[in-house]
Amino acid sequence: MAGWFDANLVSILNGFAIGALLFILAVGLSIVFGMMDVLNLAHGAFFLVGSYLAASFVAGGSWTGFLTALGLAAVIGLLAGGVLSGLTEPLARRPILDQALLTLGISLIVAEVLSIVYGNDVRSVPPPPGLDGSTDVAGNAYPTYRLLLIGLGLLLALVVWLVVERTSVGALVRASVADREMVSAMGIDNRKVKVAVLGIGSLLATVAGVLAAPVYGARPGLDETILLLALVVVVIGGLGSIRGALIGALVIGQVESLGRALLPDLASFILFGTLALVLIVRPRGLFAGKVAHA
Amino acid sequence: MPQQRSRRPLSAGLGAGLLALTLAACGGGSLGGEEEDGGSAGGEGGGTVQVGLVVPQAGVYTPLGTDMRNGWDLWLEQNGGEMAGYTVETVTADEGEGPDTGVPAVQRLLTEGQVDAMVGIVNSATALGVAEQVTEAQIPLIVANAGAGPITGEASSPYVWRTSFTNAQVAAAMGEHLAAEGIGPVYVMAPDYAAGQEVVAGFTQAFEEGGGTIAGQALTPFGTTQDFQPFLSGIQSSGAAATFAFYAGGEAVSFVQQYADFGLKDSIPLYGSGFLTEGSVLDAQGPAAVGVRTSLHYSTELDNEDNAAFVQAYQDAYGTLPTVYSVQAYDAANVLARALEEAGGTGGDAITQALDGLGTIDDSPRGPWSFNGQTPEQSIYLREVADENGTLVNSVVSDLGVFPQP
Repeated sequence: MAGWFDANLVSILNGFAIGALLFILAVGLSIVFGMMDVLNLAHGAFFLVGSYLAASFVAGGSWTGFLTALGLAAVIGLLAGGVLSGLTEPLARRPILDQALLTLGISLIVAEVLSIVYGNDVRSVPPPPGLDGSTDVAGNAYPTYRLLLIGLGLLLALVVWLVVERTSVGALVRASVADREMVSAMGIDNRKVKVAVLGIGSLLATVAGVLAAPVYGARPGLDETILLLALVVVVIGGLGSIRGALIGALVIGQVESLGRALLPDLASFILFGTLALVLIVRPRGLFAGKVAHA
Repeated sequence: MPQQRSRRPLSAGLGAGLLALTLAACGGGSLGGEEEDGGSAGGEGGGTVQVGLVVPQAGVYTPLGTDMRNGWDLWLEQNGGEMAGYTVETVTADEGEGPDTGVPAVQRLLTEGQVDAMVGIVNSATALGVAEQVTEAQIPLIVANAGAGPITGEASSPYVWRTSFTNAQVAAAMGEHLAAEGIGPVYVMAPDYAAGQEVVAGFTQAFEEGGGTIAGQALTPFGTTQDFQPFLSGIQSSGAAATFAFYAGGEAVSFVQQYADFGLKDSIPLYGSGFLTEGSVLDAQGPAAVGVRTSLHYSTELDNEDNAAFVQAYQDAYGTLPTVYSVQAYDAANVLARALEEAGGTGGDAITQALDGLGTIDDSPRGPWSFNGQTPEQSIYLREVADENGTLVNSVVSDLGVFPQP
């Protein structure tokens, strides 16, 4: 057992790093869908905006560039969420598929604009100074930046959990997931909540894009790949559940890392195999909140 | 900085568009059939030849399409826009990413345009998908990239020719070389799709025939693998002395970087098919790529006069180093011109027959090569990524010998 653990330590560690990244990405998607019923398929495109921002500013590999990219990504994410909120407002009473189509269209436009502005070459992004090397983990080299990602992911999970469970804003979030009509009947302006939720959700996407850039780089098509992963995480974890997003992200992180290392021949199948398994056993996800909408 | 970067693709597109317009204008002007250009040997002169250039203009292969377009345009520019006295009219079609866009693009050229020949095709599935229509229309297609064996193998057509390479050809050269070096057990990695499988098969066969042993192999999910760490762990535990890998585009960047990040680069040297470190991916890989050894039929660092002149002219025209893709399109223009010279007409059969009799192409930047079974029999070079004053290049280590399609 100890030998097995030792041999797969790097894979397990890496699973946590990918899981942390996926959590940052998926929690936004999950909250937005769970609370506002907006299936934001532009989430992946927002992520890619963050990655390209990182590619623009971190060229020389400096902390200033990295932090600038993070800050800009946060602002752009907030704004994009606000715009998205305005755009989906006229469709609020229409079926959820109409909104999904709208956001899909937005994602295609954003991806195309990025391709026009940045070209179609693959960009790689160096990690900030001090984090660009490898750290020795029990005799194995492991990229330092990915260790930081694990820490950041856990920190963010803690912050989000505290906000949702311990503050009045969090109470509002939980109430909205449970029964949006009732929240609105109690005199809380639904549209304001929506702007805020979409803003924060999109912010998490763009920030995740910057954070992921030193690992995944920036290239056309990355938005779709990453959106798919985020959707799988959300489906596995259960809609609108912070805890679900965290567990889902960690599960998918391990499946993508440890699972592929142990079963390389099943690598293409294992992700969706896990998804199918979860859907069969728990059709509403592992931690589905008490979602009131039909 | 970002603005400066953004200008390149835009201006390149504009430039290509302008050139296409000028060429079209020239073509229109000479339709009258002036005989004054007929002086070039064997050419009919005066007429126009319409060539469909099918390259990706959107999607992930766009950088390859741009390089091919540049190679094609450069040849025309150097030869006054003429082939064997015919004024060349280039009709560009967008191949897109796969056969779903590529096949209709070719179809449109065949039915709407009056093309005499077609050049291009990045995607192997597209090349295989159009073979039948091309044969039916009796229009020669010179494939300037797609490397699948069957294109000039079991699915060949007398009208489909190729100036690029075959996947297994490039890999076999490295397999033979590593076996001869007695490097020890080698781990083989490639994406799990047709080209990847051909590379793995080509390498494994040549390497084992030379007496080498395979330590293990991993075929990674194509297009969805962002993170190679799980497979890199497999390499470490397999006891391999070296790794042979085939990746291209975004996967090539992630793979080479992660290979270095996870500390494998220093302990288990990385070898690959040349596309692992070719073109724009090399810049993105950065220092992680230095020292990686690959096999390919071209490098900008090849020491011959034609290559020196080509690289210089290419840099003057486009401000960047050429790639193997540019050379393949450049050579496609060259062989088409030579064939037209011999053909005495622009008919499909005349051109293909002339292509068959071309013999050695002696002025290619890649060195001399010839058609063997409608695909190049050519030298494959061993290259090593080196940092030359801040620019990463594939320096040539040695010539591995002349290889036909396996």
